[in-house]
Amino acid sequence: MLVGIPLESKHSNAVVPKDCADEMSAYLALVGQARCKRSFAEVFNYFAPRLRSYALKQMGNEALAMELVQDTMSNVWQKSRLFNADKGAPSTWIFTIARNIRFDMLRKQRNRKEDICADDLWPILCEQTADVNEVALDDQVILQELGQLFDELPQKQRVVIEAIYIEGKSQQEVADQLSIPLGTVKSRTRLALQRLKEMLKDND
Amino acid sequence: MINFHPQLAHLRAFAEGTCPTNLALMISAHVDMCPRCQALTTQAQEELSAEVFAAPVDSVVVEQDFKDMMLQITQTADFEPARVQPVSNLLELDGRHFALPRALARYTRKTGNWSRLVGKLWQAPVDLGQEGQANFIYMEKGGRVPEHTHKGTEFTLVIDGQFSDGLADYDCGDFTIMDGSNKHMPFSEADEGCLVFTMVDKPLHFTSGLARLLNPFSQLFFK
Repeated sequence: MLVGIPLESKHSNAVVPKDCADEMSAYLALVGQARCKRSFAEVFNYFAPRLRSYALKQMGNEALAMELVQDTMSNVWQKSRLFNADKGAPSTWIFTIARNIRFDMLRKQRNRKEDICADDLWPILCEQTADVNEVALDDQVILQELGQLFDELPQKQRVVIEAIYIEGKSQQEVADQLSIPLGTVKSRTRLALQRLKEMLKDND
Repeated sequence: MINFHPQLAHLRAFAEGTCPTNLALMISAHVDMCPRCQALTTQAQEELSAEVFAAPVDSVVVEQDFKDMMLQITQTADFEPARVQPVSNLLELDGRHFALPRALARYTRKTGNWSRLVGKLWQAPVDLGQEGQANFIYMEKGGRVPEHTHKGTEFTLVIDGQFSDGLADYDCGDFTIMDGSNKHMPFSEADEGCLVFTMVDKPLHFTSGLARLLNPFSQLFFK
């Protein structure tokens, strides 16, 4: 492209983001799955100049504006896998990323510490994880059940299992600690796990 | 059922990233609990992005800068998503556990000890750093905050249970903003009591009876 010719040949606002949402979604998917640089170039060439206009208004100077554009597009490149076309248009996703970066940049400028950061207020770039609570509760139930089963293990096997699975020791460490041969630790572990498995089956 | 929501203008400012940070935190927590405001925030984001990206592109020549930028971005090493440690969102009081909305989960670690205020009220301060302080207030069944008005602004979000204040009844997820024009007396008659997350920028001003004696000290609590 020749210097001096505007990036957008169609000029200014001829294309409304909604109209190219499908196209941009497809490019983003390719970036996410295949790290496709050509697809990224399409996304970049469309959004970067537009982000710059937004950033200039928000940040008031060219250097900060370009930093905002770069951080935003960098996130788009790195986290394109997190984009989900079912949840909204690429333009909305990219806008929210820019908004979050702008928020953190302005706070940094004002020397605000990271007591509150954009990711907490608007979680858009986090991997979706299961509800912390549910996991914790499930774990609790399982641990409780296991705890009861544990008590039914023969004393010698229980000591070995606890050292390995709760204290996180290696079999060798357990052997040293109990002054028994490594082979004995291995067989006790095997027997204990077998037994636990049977008990869990009976419980079902 | 949630009946009290942030104003639309506040929701839009939240979506835009332009509302004050402490209000943004309250709204974020409310949005976590409120499908209606989730939808409205999503809608506002769509509208804002359409506005932002439909603006005419400034044709100042920066192509070389953009080319360099793109090259730099695509050459950086692939980002390994940090394994986010799931933060427990359970707040404990006297053996009871309250599930906090996602936006407040990180403050379980920044919450100080519970202290008993007057009557059946409990308070735990939350350090928001430079944004000041917020509080969890727990009203046991029958607990009441003496009638007061506000010198500043008071944000309240109901996290668990229900309370009333002589003006209305509030349920889990309800969000209110009160100022000097509102006089109220929060109390909870819910069997399980009521846990709220609240911020005030200036002390409360107690308006009735003996509670007025609290005024000289009101910055010590309810702040």
